[in-house]
Amino acid sequence: MEENSNPVYKDQRYGQSRELLYSYDENGQYKKDVGFHGEPDRIILQQAWDHFNDRIEDARRRVIAGKVSPIVYYMEKFLADPLNLSMMAGISIWKVKWHSRPGVFKRLSEKTLKKYADAFNISIEQLKKVE
Amino acid sequence: METKTMIDYTHRQAGHCESGATSNLLRFYGVDMSEPMAFGIGNGLYFSYIPFLKVQFAPMISFRNLPNTVFHRGMKYLGIDATVIKKFKDPKEAMLALDQNLEKGIPTGMQVGVFNLTFFPPEYRMHYNMHNLVCFGKEGNLYHISDTVMETAHVLTYDDLLRVRYAKGVFAPEGKMYWINHVPNHLDIRSAVSVGIKKTVYEMIKIPFPLIGVKGLRWMGRDLRKWPKKHGVEKASFYLGQVLRMAEDFGTGGAGFRYIYGAFLKESGEMFNHAELLEAAEMMGKTANKWREFTYIGARNCKNRSKPQEDYGMLGDMMIEIAGMEEQVYKKLDKIKL
Repeated sequence: MEENSNPVYKDQRYGQSRELLYSYDENGQYKKDVGFHGEPDRIILQQAWDHFNDRIEDARRRVIAGKVSPIVYYMEKFLADPLNLSMMAGISIWKVKWHSRPGVFKRLSEKTLKKYADAFNISIEQLKKVE
Repeated sequence: METKTMIDYTHRQAGHCESGATSNLLRFYGVDMSEPMAFGIGNGLYFSYIPFLKVQFAPMISFRNLPNTVFHRGMKYLGIDATVIKKFKDPKEAMLALDQNLEKGIPTGMQVGVFNLTFFPPEYRMHYNMHNLVCFGKEGNLYHISDTVMETAHVLTYDDLLRVRYAKGVFAPEGKMYWINHVPNHLDIRSAVSVGIKKTVYEMIKIPFPLIGVKGLRWMGRDLRKWPKKHGVEKASFYLGQVLRMAEDFGTGGAGFRYIYGAFLKESGEMFNHAELLEAAEMMGKTANKWREFTYIGARNCKNRSKPQEDYGMLGDMMIEIAGMEEQVYKKLDKIKL
């Protein structure tokens, strides 16, 4: 294979850190080089982040339209699903799903809001609004 | 209260977080062990495919063993006296135990979550709780951290370190920490390598469960062919991306640890002058190159730039071929007597 060495990736957004990568050449030697990840690795990473950003943007639009509560936006921003969020905040998964309705969210107690805010590492005021 | 404790600990970069931490800790105690050796002895190699569990919206694929296997098993097989504390109920107590260790001059390894690590490149920050790092110094509120995936050592504040040590979610670290107490004068590396290879072979081909090891690879290959029909093209491409990300991007040294394992076989073969081990190393290297080829074709597929014959059916066939090649290596290793 021609691309056994690790080509330097030019894009500044995804080229900040160098890693140690191993490779195996035709002479039967294992090699260690420090380098950036190659192009294919970047493509798949970019694909994942495009997917996550789409989900975040979609959630933001739905929150502004008043269809879901801000919890859904912050959950997507934290790359979590309801199960993950329930583990992070210590609230059962059914309740997390129930709290994603805007009407229910408005009536939540300070204590529950605090749990969510702590899980997202933001203040309660921030939790209530989505810009 | 300004306290300063620094341990004379050398940070060396490594491909994989835990085997790197283990080899650096051993180096601190005067045992010159490379990263692949630590990885191989501690059974880092593993594969499991769990389609019904979703991680980051795609099926769970793991190329590594449970957290702390490499350190724990490595120490056990080498006969080194080490301590692993699985969890602390109280976060403050966990930090206090770390401080006490540092005062005694013991560099301490910890399991952490990646998402809130401040020095980590932002594109890798996902909910992944099996990362390892070593703390080797404290200055007031700052802790000196050696993360083997990064090029240099970093610092973390008290609050940040506490947050990552108590990350929540799947495989939560719960403040797990580990360190070496005492290294005996003579280490029996030969028997450790033998036991390590036996255990890895067992985990890869002999576990009677279809989703682990080589059987898991075959199962994934068969599933791969069905993904576009079952989930639609967009989702199939995202799932394929997840497989490749797990294999290449997240600190594996490339090709889902196959390169590191091959390097281990090569190194131990040269150490004991064992022809069959060297042969197995060559086979492993070829398998790893095949994995890398799989990544190239898969990434082209994700970008919709692939040639018409390079579709999911072909990728599935390729995965099954890789599984066959790997099985040959493990069967060969199984017969080796050290």
